[in-house]
Amino acid sequence: MKMRAAIAGALVAVALIVPANASAYLTWFEFTRQSNIASTLTMVWQYGPGWYGTQSWRAGSGVSADACWVGHGWLPTGYYDLKGHWDNYNGAIAGRVFYLQNKPCWNGTWRTELFVHSEETAGQGQYCPTAGDDPYCWEGDYDYYSNGCIKVSRAGYPSDLRLVHDGWHGRSGDYRHGYFTINNWLYVRG
Amino acid sequence: MKRVFGARATAAAMAIAAGVAGTLAIFGVFGAHGAVPRTGPLSVDAGLEKPPGAFVRGDGLYTEKGGRSELGARVSGAMIGPLSPVAVRSSDGKLVAYNTWQELKTVDSDQSFSRQGIAEGDALGTPSLRVHDDAGRDFLLARGAYSAAWRQDGAIAFVKGFDPNFRAGRSYTGQVIVRRGIHGPDVAWTTEPAHYVVYSWAGDRLLFYRIGLGEKTELLVADGPGKIRPLADGSAIAISPDATRVAVLSEDATNVRVLDVATGSEQSWLDVTTATPPLAWVAYSGSWVGEHIVAPASAGLAVFHAGSRSLELEQVLSLDRTQFPVGVQEPRFLDEAGNEIAASADIPPAKGGGGVSFLLQCDRIARSCQRGEPAPAKDWLRPVADSAAADEGGH
Repeated sequence: MKMRAAIAGALVAVALIVPANASAYLTWFEFTRQSNIASTLTMVWQYGPGWYGTQSWRAGSGVSADACWVGHGWLPTGYYDLKGHWDNYNGAIAGRVFYLQNKPCWNGTWRTELFVHSEETAGQGQYCPTAGDDPYCWEGDYDYYSNGCIKVSRAGYPSDLRLVHDGWHGRSGDYRHGYFTINNWLYVRG
Repeated sequence: MKRVFGARATAAAMAIAAGVAGTLAIFGVFGAHGAVPRTGPLSVDAGLEKPPGAFVRGDGLYTEKGGRSELGARVSGAMIGPLSPVAVRSSDGKLVAYNTWQELKTVDSDQSFSRQGIAEGDALGTPSLRVHDDAGRDFLLARGAYSAAWRQDGAIAFVKGFDPNFRAGRSYTGQVIVRRGIHGPDVAWTTEPAHYVVYSWAGDRLLFYRIGLGEKTELLVADGPGKIRPLADGSAIAISPDATRVAVLSEDATNVRVLDVATGSEQSWLDVTTATPPLAWVAYSGSWVGEHIVAPASAGLAVFHAGSRSLELEQVLSLDRTQFPVGVQEPRFLDEAGNEIAASADIPPAKGGGGVSFLLQCDRIARSCQRGEPAPAKDWLRPVADSAAADEGGH
């Protein structure tokens, strides 16, 4: 019994010392506003002092370029904390989502309920019941438009959403889900 | 050769003169008010001498004649943006309700909360509604409240938060409240707490938004306390002059529909991306007089003709994007004919400077605008919206 306890203790100690993932790098995202449906989301990871890796995807935000327009303009510039991450979020926005902090734009208007997401179901599938624009179905470039959130494509295999999602977990070594905070997780430049 | 040239020159000069006269005659007929409005660029010049109506800026309420009245607090649309007017006058013209924002913590918009030492749940500010009367008195209508709409009988609707403070990392949830008079008791018209924004009355029915995840806007209508029904996913452009119809905009900002407010039934519909000329998008918070609706649009301004069962894009007025990179907001008609349009325009901050706002007054027949003096964007220079009267819809 004592031996078992000792082994268990040693395992716990090792688990605490070794990062959850061997490649657990400081990882964050940058969003460069270029147009509402063709901007760039870049994942950046630091794998050594002064050494960075990056991977970029096409992304969209908003319908117009006025960051002070609630439910219409693209994301305000600046640093954002991450509020949480879910794999199976179930709401108007669903599936794999990253929840961002609220942000005031340049005239003081608060932008709220902001995410990085795509168009998929809570089960990470596609639901395309109509010939028109379905909210849980990635039909094409038009889906990059949003009310303000950052959107990446759910088309193809692997989709950009999957690459963003898996890339985040893989590079950061952070496999948490639900509400938690990561400081300065996203930087939006315009 | 000289003579020949002279004869030809004379003939050419006569032809040109005739052409000019003809052109002038055509302009005389079609260029005047009452002529057919044409799609094209808007020219904007400085020098708006007289504002197109009362407006607010900072802690001042200004009349169109230049008078200034000190407000009890600075105006701010921090909780609403252009979804609802920052300041709105009662139907009898005696009261102006306006939105304010008391900052409890200075927030640098370029920095994250964590970098500023702002923790989850920290109070960032308190929105409040105040009322200013025509005698210059100013008083608090409700603390922890925003977005006001006056009914014809003087009742006022607004959103009141459960917690008066807006907090970091929290949604601002509340209820839609109606007071029969400014000093009357609060009556909740909604039953479910949510992030609401009051838009406008349509007669005795109240139109308001529920803001969801990703700033999804859902337009709801209340027929009375607790009698809530969804009207449309998306936002409102304007309410018809007789308050029976509302022009709504789809969530993707490309489809305009005219709905019967009482039944929600669709009267007419237009996809602006396939209209002539096509538009990438249209935005909410416009105005409706007679059979004309004006809305902000990707090009600048869009004017629609709304028949009883038809909707057509009548005119697109384009703005120089280098001059107005984010277009105009909250356009409204100034005259019964729907030829004069007032709006506000914001210019985002350039490097080393802050954003600014202007008031614009445009003649859509002449396709020309005059703009007023710039004001810092954080002064919230905005026209005072008139409550929907019998002859004008929307805000």
